[in-house]
Formats: sequence, structure tokens, C-alpha cells
Amino acid sequence: MIPLYFDPGTGALIVQFLAAAVAGVLLFYRTVLHKIKSILGIKDKKEDDFMDETDPTEDHK
Amino acid sequence: MESKRNTSSFRDPSGYVFIEDDSVKRVVNHIYFEQYNQLTSSGFYQLLFDKKYLVSHQEVSRTDSEIIIEASKIPFINYPYEWSFLQYKHAALLTLKIQKLCLENNFTLKDASAFNITFHEGKPIFIDTLSFDFYQENNPWLAYKQFVMHFLGPLVLTKYFGQDHLKTLALHLEGISLQKLSNLLPLKSYWSPILLTNIHLLAKYDKKYESDKKKVNNNLSKASQIKLLDGLYDYILNLSVNEKTEWDHYYNQINYNEVAYQVKKEFVKDWFSSIKGKSLIDIGGNDGTFSRELKELADFMIVADVDANAVEQNYKQILKNKEKSILPIVVDVLNPVANYGFNNQERFSFIDRVEEANLDAGLALAVIHHITLSGNIPFSLSAQFFSKMAPNLLIEFPTRADSWVQFLLDSKREFKSHFDFYNEENFENEYAVYFEIVHKVKIDSSERILYSLKRR
Repeated sequence: MIPLYFDPGTGALIVQFLAAAVAGVLLFYRTVLHKIKSILGIKDKKEDDFMDETDPTEDHK
Repeated sequence: MESKRNTSSFRDPSGYVFIEDDSVKRVVNHIYFEQYNQLTSSGFYQLLFDKKYLVSHQEVSRTDSEIIIEASKIPFINYPYEWSFLQYKHAALLTLKIQKLCLENNFTLKDASAFNITFHEGKPIFIDTLSFDFYQENNPWLAYKQFVMHFLGPLVLTKYFGQDHLKTLALHLEGISLQKLSNLLPLKSYWSPILLTNIHLLAKYDKKYESDKKKVNNNLSKASQIKLLDGLYDYILNLSVNEKTEWDHYYNQINYNEVAYQVKKEFVKDWFSSIKGKSLIDIGGNDGTFSRELKELADFMIVADVDANAVEQNYKQILKNKEKSILPIVVDVLNPVANYGFNNQERFSFIDRVEEANLDAGLALAVIHHITLSGNIPFSLSAQFFSKMAPNLLIEFPTRADSWVQFLLDSKREFKSHFDFYNEENFENEYAVYFEIVHKVKIDSSERILYSLKRR
């Protein structure tokens, strides 16, 4: 590993676990919501990917 | 052969950038050899080049102590404090995309500075080739705090308090401090789970462990880190700012005479062909309407405007039309970006970078009356400014009979007589110090004159 030129912050390294857990819940909730919507036939408006020219198949969701 | 170390490249011990004979080269130090070799042989660098995520490079030479690579040259390095909201967002999203791709290939970004990204050919691109390191199983993201200080912080401040906060990094080159960020945000931001964890809780923990430099390993699986990245990605993707600005939808607002408008467009085209220009800077270019007329002729055009919304509209058109030659940036002519950082040599001023770019032409349509009458800038000083932009200048001069000029003069009230100098004759005399007048034409059915000027 290359030594860092800045302090990554001990707290910042610890808090990532919590932030990831919360993000996980949110993403799960969104997936469920998305599924319900697709069953009801409501389509989410999808924003064009700004890098899409080089990678048309990529799906970040 | 002239070789000069880039004065902004000193933070990272892995290597540094230098300029040699007009090309951009980078020294890779011995401590980074293992990473560099693996990034090259695994094809990860190539993958990043193919996706246009990272500026491409070629290896030039190799010794036991250093490797030298040459990077493709970017004509005008632009900084975070020159981006519109959407550009800033996309720079943040690109950083997250790269980190996710890194993890999938067992690498990680070791820093997430917003200065690692610049806009080139209509898109953000990562320009720090040595920012990658090996991923250690279950290690948290070391650059996470920096990402929040450089990207999430300014974006969220902008969401709540407007686009002035896009310039946060001009004041805080190392990013906004977490404590300050958390204190500034309104109480309702605590209701957002993403902001609660990634800003407020982060600030709290950061303070709590401030003096504790213990090692934190193995607390975050790769899958969890990807969730963290996806959560941030999703939040930033859906961020919006709702702020009306003065020059928003300019060309819909103004009551331009259609004939005069067409004449102006044709004149701009003829002028640019006549000087055989390839590159241009459009000062006060709004959403790029006039520069777009030159798309077939020019290779590179900077469209600068003070209004972040106008710049954003320009950027949206660039995305939609996949335009590569236009670079939209936010520039306040009355206060252009200065030289910042150590020795004043770390981030370069707007004027220094324009001069360095050696552009063929400058375009200044419908701006001189604002500079002169709103900014109180004398003709002699604005002439000096424009002479630094390019050797050829097309400038539009609205005469005193123009309705805009009258409006601006009237808003001066008792001070109005101070601006009696605002007329064609004085303009020509003062500009003649820096330029010769090549061509002068009055736009029919308007009170405006177009001057084609050549620098002395």
C-alpha cells in the first residue's frame, strides 16, 4: 500500500460500516418499491447516463 | 529541451507531473512501480481508457528508479469552482463509478480529490493516473472522508443554499471541514438517512476519534462498500437545485429582433472563417448559442459565463448532442478565478490558463455594456483584459441608443453623467491602444455595432 498524503480519519473509517448499512436498507427499499411499481405498470423515468457513449450497456442500478 | 515540474503536483509521493516541450509527462517513482505494473499488465488502465474514465497515457521510458509516461494533452484544465451544478454532480458520480470499477478489479482509489477531475470533450475525466492502489480485503475506503469534503459537501450546500457554494473549493482547497459542513446544514437534513450518516454522523465520529490514530482494518466487506458507493451514487444522482438566476434562458427572455439575430450569427461565422481560427473563447457566451454556430469550423471552444444556470443549460446541450469541442465553464469577468494554493502556484488563474491555451479568437457579444456600466470598468481596462484572451476579437458594442444601455444608465441615477464617456468614439480610441480595427459593421434594425479587432 502507498502511504496516504492525507489523514483518512479514524472516525471516517469506522462510520463507513454504519453508512453502508443504512445505504443497504435504502437500496433494498428502493428495489422493492421498483418491483411493486413494475407490477402495477408504472415505469420509472430513467435519466440518461452521462458516460453512456462509451458504455451503452452499463446499468448502474 | 525544456522541462518544468508542474507546481501543483507535489502531494503524492508516487510521482509527479512535468511539462516538457509542450507535452505533459509524469514521473512514476519506485514506490509506485508495483501498482503501476499491475495496473498496466492487468489491463485495468486500458479498461479505464476505453471507457474514457481516465486520461490516456503511454510509457516513454523506464529505468530502475523511475518510469516516465506521457499523457494525452488536455487543452484547458478546469477546476471544480468553475463548474455548474450538473457538471459538479457528474464529476462526483464519475469518481464513484471509478471506485466501484476499481473494487470489481481489486483496486481502490486512494484519493478522491475533486481536482482529480476535469472536463474534456464534453465529459468529466479523471486525470490523476497514480491515484490507484491495491484493494485489501475488507478494508474501508480511505478516500471516503475526502470524497465527502470535496464532493458531497459542496453539492449538498448548493442544494440548500444556492450555487455560490459550488465555489467552496476555491476557499477550501482541501475540501470543506466536516464539522463546519454539519453545522451549516439545516435541521431537516437530519431526516435524510444519507446525510445523517455520511455527513452528521461522520462529522461526529471524526471529531470523537480526532486524536486516535489507530488502524481500522477489516470492518467493511467489499459488498458493503459497494452498497455505500451505490447509496451515495443514488443520492447524488437525484440531487437538484432550484435557483432562478439573472441570465437563465436568456435567449427566450430577450426580445431579439429575428433579422438582427440572424445577421449577427452570419457575421460571427464569416469573421471566424476569415481569421482561419480553430480555437475560441466566448466571454459571456451564455448557453453557447453563438459558439454553436462555429461547431463545424472550430476544434475547441471555451464558453464562459457568469451564470451557473446558463452554463448548465450549455452542458445539457453538449450531453444531448454529444458535442466534444465545447467546454462550458462559469467565469465572472469582474472577478475571474485567481492563482490559489502554495506559492500561488497550485491552481492557476483563469487568465494564466487562457494565455497558456493560446487560443485563436475571442468572442464578446453583448457583454461590454455590462462590464462598463454595471462593473464600472473603464474601456482601457476591459481592452487590456480582452487583449489577453486571444489575438483576434469580435466584440459587440451596443450604442447609447440601445434599450439595454439606457436601462443600465438609468439605474445609475445621479451618477449617470459619470458615464457620458460611453460612446462609439471613446470605445474605438481606447481599444485602439491594444487592437486595430479590421472591420466595423452596424447591425441592421438594432442599435448595436460589431467590431472585428486584431491585437497589436
